[in-house]
Amino acid sequence: MTHSSRSRLTRRSVLKGGLGLALATTALTALGLPVPARAAGKKVIIGAFADGGLTPFKQKIIPLAKDAGFDIEFLEDEYGVTLEKWFADAKNSAGQYDLYLLDDPWVPQFGAANVLEDLGAAGIDGGDKDWIGSMIDMGYWPPQKGARVKGFETATPTLICVPFVGDLQTLTYRNDVYTSGAPKTWDEVIAKGKEGVAAGKIKYPVVFRGVSGNPIVTSWYPVFLSFGGSFFDDKWNPVFNSAEGKASAEFFVGAMKQNAPSGVVEFDSDQEGAAILGGEAGAIIQYSGNALKADDPAQTKVAGKLDFGVVPKQTSAIAQMGIFIAGIPKSAPNKANSVEFLKWYVSADIQAKLSEAGSIPVKRSAFGIAKPGNRLIPVALQQLDAGALPRPRTPDWAKVEELLGIELNKALQAGSGGGAALDNAAKQVKDYLSSVGYY
Amino acid sequence: MANGGTQSRKYRLQGAGLDLALPYLMLAPGLLIVLGVLVYPLWDGLRASTKVYRYGSVVADVGMQNYIKLWSDPQFLNSLWVTVEFVALSVTFEAILGFALALFCLREFRGIRLLRTILIIPMVITPVVVAIVFRLIYASDAGMLTAISEWMGGGQVQILGSPVKAFIGLVVLDVWEWTPLMFLILLAGLQSLPHEPFEAARVDGAGNWRVFADLTFPMMRPVLAIAIVLRTIDAFGTFDQVFVLTRGGPGEATRLVSIYGYDTAFKFQQTGYAAALFVTIGLVVLALAFSAVRLLRRVDAS
Repeated sequence: MTHSSRSRLTRRSVLKGGLGLALATTALTALGLPVPARAAGKKVIIGAFADGGLTPFKQKIIPLAKDAGFDIEFLEDEYGVTLEKWFADAKNSAGQYDLYLLDDPWVPQFGAANVLEDLGAAGIDGGDKDWIGSMIDMGYWPPQKGARVKGFETATPTLICVPFVGDLQTLTYRNDVYTSGAPKTWDEVIAKGKEGVAAGKIKYPVVFRGVSGNPIVTSWYPVFLSFGGSFFDDKWNPVFNSAEGKASAEFFVGAMKQNAPSGVVEFDSDQEGAAILGGEAGAIIQYSGNALKADDPAQTKVAGKLDFGVVPKQTSAIAQMGIFIAGIPKSAPNKANSVEFLKWYVSADIQAKLSEAGSIPVKRSAFGIAKPGNRLIPVALQQLDAGALPRPRTPDWAKVEELLGIELNKALQAGSGGGAALDNAAKQVKDYLSSVGYY
Repeated sequence: MANGGTQSRKYRLQGAGLDLALPYLMLAPGLLIVLGVLVYPLWDGLRASTKVYRYGSVVADVGMQNYIKLWSDPQFLNSLWVTVEFVALSVTFEAILGFALALFCLREFRGIRLLRTILIIPMVITPVVVAIVFRLIYASDAGMLTAISEWMGGGQVQILGSPVKAFIGLVVLDVWEWTPLMFLILLAGLQSLPHEPFEAARVDGAGNWRVFADLTFPMMRPVLAIAIVLRTIDAFGTFDQVFVLTRGGPGEATRLVSIYGYDTAFKFQQTGYAAALFVTIGLVVLALAFSAVRLLRRVDAS
């Protein structure tokens, strides 16, 4: 009898048991009782977008970090979804990451939202003379130099990000087509490229990205800068539709398109990479992601035939700079570890190792090592010294780029009307910035 | 004894109370989940649609201003028009093809079960995978269509770089993926039709076209209407395929309202404006659904 009464399962006992279990689980979760540690080492969860520019870091520096006592969890996502994902993570204090490897134009968005740690206060020296000046400048919000958006005119610039992997546009060209070295002007790029096509060495003189939005704006930008254009005045009025800007846009959607693959309107980085690495294109302005593959026979059909140079000029040889830049969210679960990791990572020794591994470093001393891991690295320094500009430091850059990119893409489809496209875009940008209180 | 009796009555009373409460207790978890994942986000979205956000935070309460602003936003109007065109074309083709396939597969012949199974495969493939596959088909540099064209002595096939062709390419993708849904619904409808009227028509000497026009189609109209409404609502929310295939380009040729809303909310961080946009689209879809249901009732009545 006793046995029978004990073993009987009643609704009451099920409910009591269930409720008890639920309460216990909730209480334990709320108390945040530690889960037994799985791995030794100082945990750092790094979020990054997938990009070839980070390959040397992943292959060579992460193992070094492990040896130095860091337990690195490296989470990669597609570029197109990282901004929104990380911004939501930071804004909602979700605490999924310790470190974001941002694309530098995103710094103002995170800075204006005040969701990143003050790294200067955490002990990272932004004034170290070894930093590449233009790179460390991008880590401050509001910016130390140049125009500031409304609401931040008098705020003290704070170091919220530190340069992580240097990157900027340089020229990659075929040395069997441009036999006297890197072409110095855009006219030379086209003229000698045509000779290369006639000789059957290549199919197209140039290749670039034509997809609307970020890709086409990124491809047009160095042309725009080399024609002497500037984007905004110091009151955030768009001035990219100046005579110089229009000339660059006409050249881009006209001459450059005519000398590029016929489907360039739909080209993104994978297609432009395939065109240059596959031996079809003569020259390209690109970031380091595909450039780093230029000597690897497993990744290119023309290993040994690709050289690097400073971007061609019309009036100047200025490239766009776009670096990987690290920020620690205020909600980072392992904040102290992240700061310690960043201090270790930006030390001159580790930057030298990064340079040896083939990545563009962020400290000047690392450019001068005996054996940089890639031929691109000294050229990157030449480009930095010749001129490299970041994109305008506004939290609304994504929208500006979208509006401009759509108009440029339409003109590229037509093969003409670059100047009119810039006029349309300038009006839309002005309207948009007015609507969000810029003026 | 007396004490024992009181105790037993007490437990019985508690048992009766529990019996009364039990259905509600059992419903509570589900109800809480519905409140948490459906009602609250909906309410929060409605609330957000009346505010202006900057840098992820609310900066002003603007009432209906976001809703009014939508109708003077050329980008929204363009994306709405593109969406309407996309839905109209896709759903029309899917309904026609789905109906034709359902009529064909209504017959019983060797291998029909296998054929029916094969026909619904596109529907069960993840939309993102479908989009990647179509991107590999359409790409002008290394796509399958270009490869076939070059093998036949032609040149590169440009689809994603031309506004009209990219739009048609997107419709083709959608038709390929979602015709099976129409087919499945309409086949089930056809199989449930009574046999007698058809047998009577055949006895009276009616041909295939007469049977279709006078019997099959009128009897299938309610099912067809439901299938079209369901697919229309679903097509308004198309996102994955466009996101992977064209990202709304070239230009704005394939920028559906879902893509514009997504960019506005997450890329440009105009949360309030994006919320107003999605509420508006929700209302449009709801209005469409109501009209369809009313139409259905009218058809039934007649």
